[in-house]
Amino acid sequence: MSQSTRGQRRPIPSSAFAALLYGIMFAIYLLYSPSAITLAGITDLLNNTIVLAIAAAGLTLVILTAELDLSSVGVIAVTNVIVATVSTKVPGGAFITLILVCLIGLLVGLINGWLVAFLGLQSLAATLGTMIACQGVALLILEAPGGEVAAFIMNRLTDTVFGFMPVAGLILLLAVAGWLLFRRTRLGIAIYAVGTDALAARLSGLNVKATKWLAFGLAGMAYGLAGYMLGAQTGTGDPRISNSFLLYVFAAVAIGGTPLGGGRGGVIGSVVGAGILTVMQKLLFAVGVAEFYTNIFNGVIMIVAILFGNLSAILSLRQKAIMSQHRDGQLVPN
Amino acid sequence: MNDILTRSLLSSRTFKPETLTALLVLLGAVLMMLAMKVLNPGFGSVQQIAAILTTSIFLVVAAYGQGLVILLGGIDLSIGVVMSIAGMMIAGLTNGSNEALTWALPVTLISCTAIGLLNGLGVAFLKIPPFIMTLANGTAFFGVALGITAGSSQRTVAPALQVLMSAQIGGIPVPIVLIGWFLVAGSVLQSRTTEGRKIYAIGSSLAAARVAGLPIEALTIAAYGVSGLCAAIAGLLLAGYSSSATLDMGDPFLMPTIAAVVIGGACVTGGRGLYFGTFAGAIFLSALSTIITVLSLSQGWRNIIQGGIIIIALILQTKQWYLLSIVNRQLPGKQSLDGVLPQNSEV
Amino acid sequence: MTTFQWLVTVAAVCTLIAPEGRLYAQNEQKYKVFLDMSYSGNTWQAAAANGIKALAATPPYDKMIEFKTIISGTDVQRQISDIQSMIAAGAKAIILYPLSPTALNRVIHQACSKGIVVFTYDSTVTEPLAYNVSNITARYGANTAQWMVNKLGGKGEIIFNHGVAGTAVTKTYDEQAYAIFKKYPGIKIVGDFYGNWNDATSQEEVSKILAAHPNVDGIWTVDGTYGSLQAVVQNRPNRLVVIAGQSNNGYRLMMADPALQAKGLQGISSSAGPAVGGYAFKVMMEVLLSKKKLTNHNVEYPLPWVEAKDIKMCSGDRFEGGCNVFPEGKVPPLFLDTALDPKFLPELSLDAVQTGNPAAGAMIQPLPDPKYADNLPGINCQECKAPADALEPNLVSPIPVAK
Repeated sequence: MSQSTRGQRRPIPSSAFAALLYGIMFAIYLLYSPSAITLAGITDLLNNTIVLAIAAAGLTLVILTAELDLSSVGVIAVTNVIVATVSTKVPGGAFITLILVCLIGLLVGLINGWLVAFLGLQSLAATLGTMIACQGVALLILEAPGGEVAAFIMNRLTDTVFGFMPVAGLILLLAVAGWLLFRRTRLGIAIYAVGTDALAARLSGLNVKATKWLAFGLAGMAYGLAGYMLGAQTGTGDPRISNSFLLYVFAAVAIGGTPLGGGRGGVIGSVVGAGILTVMQKLLFAVGVAEFYTNIFNGVIMIVAILFGNLSAILSLRQKAIMSQHRDGQLVPN
Repeated sequence: MNDILTRSLLSSRTFKPETLTALLVLLGAVLMMLAMKVLNPGFGSVQQIAAILTTSIFLVVAAYGQGLVILLGGIDLSIGVVMSIAGMMIAGLTNGSNEALTWALPVTLISCTAIGLLNGLGVAFLKIPPFIMTLANGTAFFGVALGITAGSSQRTVAPALQVLMSAQIGGIPVPIVLIGWFLVAGSVLQSRTTEGRKIYAIGSSLAAARVAGLPIEALTIAAYGVSGLCAAIAGLLLAGYSSSATLDMGDPFLMPTIAAVVIGGACVTGGRGLYFGTFAGAIFLSALSTIITVLSLSQGWRNIIQGGIIIIALILQTKQWYLLSIVNRQLPGKQSLDGVLPQNSEV
Repeated sequence: MTTFQWLVTVAAVCTLIAPEGRLYAQNEQKYKVFLDMSYSGNTWQAAAANGIKALAATPPYDKMIEFKTIISGTDVQRQISDIQSMIAAGAKAIILYPLSPTALNRVIHQACSKGIVVFTYDSTVTEPLAYNVSNITARYGANTAQWMVNKLGGKGEIIFNHGVAGTAVTKTYDEQAYAIFKKYPGIKIVGDFYGNWNDATSQEEVSKILAAHPNVDGIWTVDGTYGSLQAVVQNRPNRLVVIAGQSNNGYRLMMADPALQAKGLQGISSSAGPAVGGYAFKVMMEVLLSKKKLTNHNVEYPLPWVEAKDIKMCSGDRFEGGCNVFPEGKVPPLFLDTALDPKFLPELSLDAVQTGNPAAGAMIQPLPDPKYADNLPGINCQECKAPADALEPNLVSPIPVAK
């Protein structure tokens, strides 16, 4: 959601458009596959979405500061194999492993942040390096897919609570609630400020380096959590990194309305973006798209989703298009 | 007076920061190889260097296009797919005959450039972020190619291409000669032509470029088109080298093109970077992968070392900026240097 | 009861007592069968998928099943999602190339519990209710390593071409091969790299290692064999190598070429072949139609094993009369000869594996009884033990270790 600035009229948040698109896609999916609306169907869909959603939420924090982070899949690989090797060996494994993966994710994130904010490395390249190194660590911990995730994680976290609420959905709601609180904190506001105009932020007294450092750290923690949830979904560990997943994480953020140039957007959009990418696959299957057409439609739908989201920029006609920092050749209205 | 001095220093090649970066990266590659030679005397023979250089041609060519696009502040994620498509097309169209090359070659090059132009159109006119546009475009065309070929490997590549990659001129393998030519041609095109300089300008400040009336959309489309063309050429060369083509042959090259460009000193936000730097980055990565192979470790350790060395290379690069800024601070008129330092180190 | 209630009761009773072959949507008694591919766009996968598609369209199956191919991509969660979609869509049988031996177990278990027949080909899963058809248990690593050692007389320098790291098959084969090579002190592995089953990558890496070790005697590969050999032919044409690997047509032609043999080329053509897909499909259909009942869920597809002396040129479009390679130019050099299997898959022709169209006039032939596979924990079973000699070759007799 965009931050309102000095009483200016708040534009329609781009995540609203993403949510609308999601609604349309889900409706079509439902039309062709009536079981989508059952509790089992919704639970499955949320289970399929949650890893991507949490990873995209983490990435959003970094992108808001106008940096990039490729290390998400690396952290997910490491934490996933740790969950598969540790959670059954330790009493109270589920909880302890959760703490462990959050700490590991935080650590990797802080290293990334240190490289980028304090050493001044370019984030794209530095996080590419950490991603490759993390994959190495994952391969050292677990040579081939296997291991075993504690039954509690595997069964309870993919199930429902209170009889009607999928646990995955509950976790997403908590994440969204956490975000809504976070973005009003000093750090949350600082992240937006730094992403909008780092120089101005520094001149107005914000510690830009520390902000970026913490943003990377929190993102890393989110990736750790995503790896944990991946363990819940698959019940095992896998040291390999899926390059296509990495690209989906970025696509989820972009489709959700957070421009890769920073300063605008938010976690809610990214979560919806992750939902769009997941339901898109269900939709294509239900409609009957098969074989290589899936690839073609995947590409086309991603572009359509972005165009749809661009409507929010076009519709905010009252905004003066001040050209501030630009990125990727795209105009970022202030 | 001081400004003119500094400006002339900056415009002379020897003091250009990016050239220094590129030279340092090349030096880094050489140092790595020397270190390996100490550990393993059989390493580093002339044949091995020749092999390293020959196999780096694909990255050198493909990374040129990526570098051009990154100069604009964009990125091209369709390079791997376009390389594969080019390889598949040339193999399928020539089917082992040299005569077919006369028309198959232009058809392949034009088709792949068209894919690049499509990327450019999406970025320039539809304002789709380059990340998504090139990713989506690449995915879609992969689907098209999959549908047409079902992924089967294609027929034999025209012998002429195969010979090109394995022949020698005066004892030097042809690909190495080609690399030299490409380096010169690419550098000239990027840094010495007006179009090239305009791309630098657009990448540095979109606002200023707009005010100056530069043809932003046209150059954007052209840059992505050139990226598609370079990927196509790299794909042709790869097909000639391996005498065959498959739809996944370009995949291992996408991440390395990005790494090569950035290690070579280019700025991901655009506006800065020499092709010489990208070239150095490509050679560096090629040498790095050879060394990692020679170390004979498990894949896990290979990845850790590769990631670590990339980060170290980046750190050394920034240290060089600091050195240069200290050096230049001694010179009069240092304030005009502020625009030169990379944005990341400013804050 | 009213007439309406009567009609409803009659209909209900009919559906209850009707034999296997209930109505499925509007397609009179057609079984919904899905092929779920994960990897795509490489020669092996294309040939396997084409073989399966061709068989699905061959009479009588073409009238009996409603067949659809789904490409899930390389993200395991997408494969899970697609399988769930298949369950929801009323699948009766699913044949898939799983991305992980363990991550899909839960969703496959769900499918099997609903009565869906689930088969995997080449890549296996540890879910006990699923059926695995593969030659991963045929000890490729041990057999090929021992073959190479025998040919080298127990001493020589070797280049080791690993497959994709982090996969069960790479771990298994590497383990077996290393165990054999270690037994012979005269054998030295002077260089190893991860060729990732890719010919271009293999060619690049071998050329670099060859430059540093000009006296290499042998190369061990699982795939990327053609590329590996190309590197030697281009850089050291007068002294070739002992090489073990895939069954690309170009590679077999080189193996059988007397001129290359004179330069020292000795090759073995083996490795997993795409025909395993077609074979798995046929077994699956026989199980689905209750023509066969398997006592063990792990079926072993025989390991291809062709030496230079066994190579015979084909004159037509089929592997007939024991021929097993096509002349140059008829098929691309990377074409996998093991996409065709005259013994188990006589219905497939060259065109079928290249396009997915059924061969004209073909009819599905019944299969002989399957051979069951060894247990490999973590590969095709969960709580199980591997046989004691899991690392020993079973196709090649070892030569004694030199003192």
